[in-house]
Amino acid sequence: MSTHHHHHEDFLFKYIFSTDHKMISKQFLITGFTMGFIGLVMSTLFRLQLGWPGESFEMVELLMGSWQENGIMAPDKYLALVTMHGTIMVFFLLTAGLSGTFSNLLIPLQIGARDMASGFLNMLSYWFFFLSSVLMLISLFVEGGAASAGWTIYPPLSALPQAIPGSGAGMTLWLFSMAIFIVSSLLGSLNYIVTIFNMRTKGMSMTRLPLTIWAFLFTAIIGVLSFPVLLSAALLLVMDRMFGTSFYLSDIYIGGQVLDHAGGSPILFEHLFWFLGHPEVYIVLLPALGITSEIISTMARKPIFGYRAMIGSMMAIGFLSFIVWGHHMFVTGMNPFLGAVFTFTTLLIAIPSAVKVFNYITTLWKGNIVYSPATLFSVGLVSTFITGGVTGLVLGNSALDINVHDTYFVVGHFHIVMGLSAIFGMFAGVYHWFPKLFGRMMNNKLGNLHFWTTIASAYGVFFPMHFLGLAGVPRRYYTNSEFPLFDNMVDINEFVSTFAVIALVAQLIFMFNFIYSAFRGPRAPQNPWKGTTLEWTTPVEHIHGNWYGEIPAVYRWPYDYSKVDENGEFLYGDDYIMQTTPMGENENDGGH
Amino acid sequence: MTSIAMENMDYKQEVKNKTSKPLLWIGIVSIVMFFGGLTSAVIVSQGGGGFINIALPDAFLVSTIVIVLSSIAFHLGLLATKKGKQQQAKMAVLATMVLGLTFVFTQYLGWSDLVARGYYLSGTSQESSYLYLLTILHVLHLIGGLVSLSIVLVKTFKKRYTPQNYLGVEVSITYWHFLGGLWIYLFFFLMYITA
Repeated sequence: MSTHHHHHEDFLFKYIFSTDHKMISKQFLITGFTMGFIGLVMSTLFRLQLGWPGESFEMVELLMGSWQENGIMAPDKYLALVTMHGTIMVFFLLTAGLSGTFSNLLIPLQIGARDMASGFLNMLSYWFFFLSSVLMLISLFVEGGAASAGWTIYPPLSALPQAIPGSGAGMTLWLFSMAIFIVSSLLGSLNYIVTIFNMRTKGMSMTRLPLTIWAFLFTAIIGVLSFPVLLSAALLLVMDRMFGTSFYLSDIYIGGQVLDHAGGSPILFEHLFWFLGHPEVYIVLLPALGITSEIISTMARKPIFGYRAMIGSMMAIGFLSFIVWGHHMFVTGMNPFLGAVFTFTTLLIAIPSAVKVFNYITTLWKGNIVYSPATLFSVGLVSTFITGGVTGLVLGNSALDINVHDTYFVVGHFHIVMGLSAIFGMFAGVYHWFPKLFGRMMNNKLGNLHFWTTIASAYGVFFPMHFLGLAGVPRRYYTNSEFPLFDNMVDINEFVSTFAVIALVAQLIFMFNFIYSAFRGPRAPQNPWKGTTLEWTTPVEHIHGNWYGEIPAVYRWPYDYSKVDENGEFLYGDDYIMQTTPMGENENDGGH
Repeated sequence: MTSIAMENMDYKQEVKNKTSKPLLWIGIVSIVMFFGGLTSAVIVSQGGGGFINIALPDAFLVSTIVIVLSSIAFHLGLLATKKGKQQQAKMAVLATMVLGLTFVFTQYLGWSDLVARGYYLSGTSQESSYLYLLTILHVLHLIGGLVSLSIVLVKTFKKRYTPQNYLGVEVSITYWHFLGGLWIYLFFFLMYITA
């Protein structure tokens, strides 16, 4: 033990330029949630416009200033908000916020390592993320406003600075911000993979890893394979914008003027973008699946059902995610045969997904379930994973997708299956590991209230969208009241927007609980949920290096809950056995 | 906050020994995906029919020979370091550096050749744009390799490496060989698309 390097005691190095994974985890969490809250407010603002088009919200003008003149949102600002909402939620909250927080917190703690493979790269990863967040927010305030081409930034809107107001400086900043974000994500993923493979404690074989770690591992591998391709797509886009190349552009007229671009194709961008874009869905989702697997087993006081099947299905989902990107492009004039191939690979994803759902339910089945907010949000994820998944079967099928492409059906589908599932997983993780993050407990009653209001309002928002989509209402439109065709949809839109406001208010409950508990919550015991994994053997207060003295060795898998002997008595006198407990003489290790 | 073993040099060295190479390898995987994305883009663009058959500059063939020689020189340097033959190691690493810089120079000659024939990075010929883009991006990655090589060079001249301790050389040479392999891939790929 050595304490002679006092610079680690300094405020600057402890809280700001920390290389300790636990502090970096908190930095990711707080930055991610801040961005997420901004994204949530944006969505509520444009839902006001969609629910009550043309109505004046003078209260909002106070917040939005010239964006909301006379209380009515301007059309170009609406597009900018939709774009920024998508970008922030997908990348900043659910990619960096989710993976950054829990991979950083749990990988070293659960595999038994003192820190990440490289604390320095880890710190860089956070600061690149911070910088990209700041740049993204600054882009709201440049001339022309933020990027407005949708979060998928298809060219030509994104490639020609003169195309629409947001295509200028806003789009440039968007690209810069995302390039830095990709670097951050790659540095993080590098670290996670190497740490998991090389720094496990004695006895921690791969089949003794908690499912959280498996999920973070697959997430990081998918990230390393897919984000560089997005970088290449963005690079070609930057070239088209700034150096007059024609990778994505051909035969374009603006204001009657023919532009000097020929031979390129915007479809190329879609291919490159969705080669990242689809794996990105699982970068967002897998950590949530890992977190909830862990929580459901712990809270049901039962071993996870089908541990190996869980790993296998995550691996299958990760692999398949790379060969399905075409299902985002069925209406691009794709050869119908190719469409059929992408339909086939897409529908295959239903199999591993169904395996996971089955295993969640069988783990809960007849369990001695402890109801905490984390349990509720985990079960909430199982619910959204099913309801969002079944509409995936519709969208994955080219013949059906063409009818509802770019409608609210799609918006409803991906918000439920990816947005809600991932954020529920993230909330579950925060409630469950809050004692590990802040050494204090969150309030369960407020947590339960948060869950019930959130799930009710989330379904209130996204479920009716399927009907809007089936009726043909297109996504991203500024208003639906201009089209007599959609006149009978007004009530549904009001309904959705009302729930959007309730959902926002529900998150204030969480925010209060989070901040209050971090400072004033009751002190956490060492192992509040009676978990078996290594993080619950570390001291409650944070120490750099995680364990005083030696790192504990591991002797069993992480799911020895309610293990009984031949007389039906709990082994070791309790319904859980820590991974650090050596195997008894006649104990069955279940092949782990 | 108390520090446990974290400031201990043994701990730091142990982590470095265990993780340096895997970190590099996974970094290499992401670079492969980056160039994989770009070269796939070339193939998709080629389907558009806008390709006009630009003859590849001869200088790029010289580049290929030079980068293969540099890899051989570096490899000899590693062998010499492992055997403790410091004088040979110095010569070999220096030769690698010279060959590495020569590679960059031959790339420059290639670009000048293209300019002389009226092919530019910008403009409507995607084939020409891709030629520049792929080679420039490779050189940018190679500059990273040169930085790492110069650290190895300095440490070799300061006799910091021993037959027991040459991790830095191994990490640097792995990346260098990768850059050579990447160039050879790009060279044949460019030959194929410009043919």
